[in-house]
Amino acid sequence: MKLRYYIARRLILLLPTLLGLTLIIFTVSHVGGNQRLLGEYINTHSKIPVSVQEQQLAERFHLNDPLVVQYFYWLAAFVQGNWGYTQTSIYSGTVLDAIKLFFPNTLILAVLSSILTGLIGIPLGVWSAVRKDSVLDQTTRVVSFVGYSVPLYWLALLLIIVFSTTDVCPCLSIFPIGGTATVSLIGGVDWYVGGISNPTHVLIIDSVIHGRFDILEDALMHLVLPVITLTYGVMASILRVMRSSMQDTLSQDYIRTARAKGLDEKTVINVHARRNALIPVATLLGYTIAWLLGGVVLVESVFNYLGIGYWTTQAILNGDVGGIMGATVIFGLTFIFANLVVDIAYGFLDPRIRH
Amino acid sequence: MGLRDVYGRKGTKTSLSARLREYRLTLKILLESPSSTVGLVIVLAYAAIAVIDFTYPSLIGVQNAYSLIPDFMNSVPSPPVWPTHPFGTTFPGVDLYQAVMSAIRVDLWYSLLIVLAGAAAGTVVGVLAAYVGGYLDEVLMRFTDIFLSVPYLPFAIAVAFVLGRALDNISLALVIVWWPLYSRYAYGQALSLKENAYVEAAKASGVGTWGIIFRHVIPNVLTPIFVQISLDLGTVVQIFAAMTFIGFASGNPLLPELGTLISNGFQYAVAAPWVIFFPGVAILIFAIGMNLLGDGLRDALDPRSRT
Repeated sequence: MKLRYYIARRLILLLPTLLGLTLIIFTVSHVGGNQRLLGEYINTHSKIPVSVQEQQLAERFHLNDPLVVQYFYWLAAFVQGNWGYTQTSIYSGTVLDAIKLFFPNTLILAVLSSILTGLIGIPLGVWSAVRKDSVLDQTTRVVSFVGYSVPLYWLALLLIIVFSTTDVCPCLSIFPIGGTATVSLIGGVDWYVGGISNPTHVLIIDSVIHGRFDILEDALMHLVLPVITLTYGVMASILRVMRSSMQDTLSQDYIRTARAKGLDEKTVINVHARRNALIPVATLLGYTIAWLLGGVVLVESVFNYLGIGYWTTQAILNGDVGGIMGATVIFGLTFIFANLVVDIAYGFLDPRIRH
Repeated sequence: MGLRDVYGRKGTKTSLSARLREYRLTLKILLESPSSTVGLVIVLAYAAIAVIDFTYPSLIGVQNAYSLIPDFMNSVPSPPVWPTHPFGTTFPGVDLYQAVMSAIRVDLWYSLLIVLAGAAAGTVVGVLAAYVGGYLDEVLMRFTDIFLSVPYLPFAIAVAFVLGRALDNISLALVIVWWPLYSRYAYGQALSLKENAYVEAAKASGVGTWGIIFRHVIPNVLTPIFVQISLDLGTVVQIFAAMTFIGFASGNPLLPELGTLISNGFQYAVAAPWVIFFPGVAILIFAIGMNLLGDGLRDALDPRSRT
């Protein structure tokens, strides 16, 4: 199959997935029924009885139509960006504005963790396979085993106790206890309004643009513990797959050939083995993104880090439909499109996949 | 003895002694590896705690296995003291040792329920799709794919939010998120199984489609599914506790449950670290034990690895 047919097929398969996602969101948006949807429109001081008002409003907003019809009205509004309102203890306003505020923070957290995972996890997995049963290998295996058994939010709490308080040792109290930036530092800055920094909405980039390196340092300090927690959780599975895949590759015939023709071990590992060993890791990427998005919810809520995950947990506690909806949209779309990119890249790299 | 007797309604005839021999061999292989032995011991210990807590809670010093006993006069957490409060107390004045013991039972019970329900539903769907094939295959597997294409935790959060806050609803949400994994897995297994000679023989001797699916395909898919269940159980315990931690079970703060215990102690975590330490360790050790055992079972039950 040619690459463009493969991509076309993959794009067509996207449609039922997106349909499924909108059905989930539509269901979420109906939690609480008509009473919640109409609540803010009902005038209790009016002479018209509430039940009559409800009837009229339901008629106006097509709430008496069959669910299938309602779904299409809802979808039309949804596509136009009418995503409703959110009201939680950390943010009140439209869902779109909330996403503008929270998403860049989550993105930076996820991106930094992915980069770190790749930079540490892959070489460590290779090393651990090459020096099988060495002290390094044994340590790596234990560390990664604990990594996918440990509850991330619990690990985050332990890190806070050790590195943000003076409980264990005053010398270790290095990092801030939570949040995204120190309020006293960021308070009077004119490019930081309502929790959103301008122009890129990403604090660590904007602080460089405006030449405020003290704010950059502060923002980075707030990122250290969340990034470490998230990286550790995600890296565990990558390490494990990388190690076993590298081991499989090293026992292949062509590696023996490469060694037999006198190539030095460095070239054999770095050029011949590692590239092929990376293929199973690439298939794992989609799964890793799911882990990452799940981890983000837990880690952000422990660190009070102003991102989509923290917003989600606040929405659960406040019974806020808008927050859950917005988070589902963002997490769902990120996941679907990340997987799309991974699949296309994979089809590009490995022609066998296209068949 | 005709074919009908071998492949008929009574199913394949494997004698009890042969089956026992098989189990004993599996156990022997399992115990040869130190890490799986450690896993087995941990899992058995947790199972024992859960069973004792359910039947004779006083044996392990638990006064009330179904509700935490608050002490509002001393609601602030106090540090561990042997032997009255070996794990200390947590908010609101609850003995943490008893709380963790009962919570282990609750978490284990719900996680087992989630994995078994998910595995049952997924296996039936996957095997049906693989064996019947055609349109049913396309419909069922595309449906599975849609469920798999939403990240599990946000999906579970959305479902649990729609259903409302309660442990039963979290479990239902996690089953809805979990079954497609088993569906995919059983599908792959059943696709290769259905080409086997014994399926053909059963078909030739006149066994119907359902008979073949339930008598011949599903029993043979069960072993790899069982391994997958053991590998998943440790993860599900974690995710279940995570769901209650982020606020899905706040209806009853006196319910013994590991995630709820951590979230109850959350505000005291800095001043009184033990309130989060012990419930977290309980999850961690179980997850490690279950993963060790699952890895061991995978090796022991896979005949190809027996040399």
